[in-house]
Amino acid sequence: MLVLCTLCFVATSASAELVVIVSSRNPNPVLNAEQVSAIFLGQTGRFPDGAAAVAIDQGLGAAQRDLFYRQLTGKSPALLKAHWSKMVFTGRGQPPREAASDAAVRRMVADNPSMIGYIERAALDPSVRPVLVLQ
Amino acid sequence: MLLHYFPGTLLPAAFATCVLACTPLYAQAQAPVQAANAAPDTAAGPTWKLSGFGTLGVVHSNSHEADFSSSILRASGAGVSGSWSPNVDSRLGAQLDVSQGAWSGVLQVISEQRLDHSYQPRIEWANIKYQMTPDLAVRVGRIALPVFLGAESRKVGYTIPWVRTPVEVYGALPISSSDGVDATWRWSTGAVRHATQVFSGSTDQDLGYGLQIDANNILGLSHSIDYGPLTVRLSAARARLNTDIAADLFAGLRMFGPRGQMLAERYAIVDKRVSMISAGASYDPGAWFVTAETGRTRTDSLLGGGTSVYVGAGWRQGAFTPYVGYAQIRADVATSDPGLQLEGLPAPVAAGAAQINGALNTLLATIPIQTTWSTGVRWDVASDLALKLQFEQVRPRGGSRGTLINSTPAFRSDRTVNVTSIALDFVF
Repeated sequence: MLVLCTLCFVATSASAELVVIVSSRNPNPVLNAEQVSAIFLGQTGRFPDGAAAVAIDQGLGAAQRDLFYRQLTGKSPALLKAHWSKMVFTGRGQPPREAASDAAVRRMVADNPSMIGYIERAALDPSVRPVLVLQ
Repeated sequence: MLLHYFPGTLLPAAFATCVLACTPLYAQAQAPVQAANAAPDTAAGPTWKLSGFGTLGVVHSNSHEADFSSSILRASGAGVSGSWSPNVDSRLGAQLDVSQGAWSGVLQVISEQRLDHSYQPRIEWANIKYQMTPDLAVRVGRIALPVFLGAESRKVGYTIPWVRTPVEVYGALPISSSDGVDATWRWSTGAVRHATQVFSGSTDQDLGYGLQIDANNILGLSHSIDYGPLTVRLSAARARLNTDIAADLFAGLRMFGPRGQMLAERYAIVDKRVSMISAGASYDPGAWFVTAETGRTRTDSLLGGGTSVYVGAGWRQGAFTPYVGYAQIRADVATSDPGLQLEGLPAPVAAGAAQINGALNTLLATIPIQTTWSTGVRWDVASDLALKLQFEQVRPRGGSRGTLINSTPAFRSDRTVNVTSIALDFVF
């Protein structure tokens, strides 16, 4: 709730402000950047409360995707590809599933309490809940 | 698929056919779900995925008395075999992943030059994995030995900033895979992410020319820690090693009485305990990075033992990543031996004993002592494609030939070899 209030005060330039969302049925209140980063980089398979976490990416090359990883992890698309190549070719995991758009991510996340994704703030609706705002 | 564009010499027809046969399955490929028992899976059957990686590399060396190579298990390199060589770094790997729910399987095959000059593919990974919980996974089958920060992915050039993992550190392992079981448990304390892996197995590695190296009772532990930009890895492994390398030499030694027997027992690689311990750390805040690793290997045999260390650093400027590195390996055992005593032996027998001493010392001189300074730049040309240019000064020391192979009798230690490498790495 505090996060949503601070959202109102943040001066946004264009529409490109991303929020990390979970299903409105997911009990996790708030996640910090490190916890979200660990889920999306395959370092953990769980939310802080212990429930299983499944990350959903936007499509390769999507502006939201590049911005998300740059803001959250500092990694460029090439570095991210190197990270996942290392994971895939050592059998440690596969990159997250992809969804084609903000609306597709929102729909998948809303239907599944274990999923976590990121969309533009403008695409928020009551079926999903933001757990982190990216600056 | 990129495989179609490769010349016939790089990929034997059998391997190409095998991979092409799997291509129809790729038609229904989707990225498998990351946490197996989480989301209700709408897919009815197993999910297949084909991926791969490779490097096209060419290396130049100014040595006329030895070859520069990335591994001792190669037939040739750059130098005496030809000042330019494509065999040092060129390789192609393909991986087939299949998953259904909590079960998954992987098969990875790599084609690179072997001791017998061929590029016959070798199975690097072949295992079945069961994800018991989102944090605990068990595998049965073949895995790459998880010692050093990048040992399991050292052949995927795209994941490494430099052209190759430092030979002084990564070339010191007598074995590189294990057929058995392993378990990995991920846990965390606050923002610190841990992964603890234990493994056990054995391996039979075919070296070519009818030679083999076997390791039994492999047992090891590898622990990784991730904390923001810092990654640390600590590993330890041990095994019992057996190989018929230099069998004729030891048979010859045994004919020379108690001293010969003692020398044979000391150096023969028969049921010898090998142990490896390593520690590595990498700090990567994004704009720059530093990596350092150290390892120690003991074999109590002809293969010797040594301590190696590596430090590398680089910074990122747009699509360019210039870097520098220093690597060193130092033998912890004697790299020469007085051998059999020649006094009191009749002349023809003494000549035979001298020859055996010579052969023993030639082999001991292959225990590496070497330092390398390197610098280079990586250019991320396009997505999934990286071009690298690297210069290094390699200096075998102390009478050793270092990590160089195919040394001629004219080879002298303590001379710098200049090596230039160009590599194109890709993933698909």
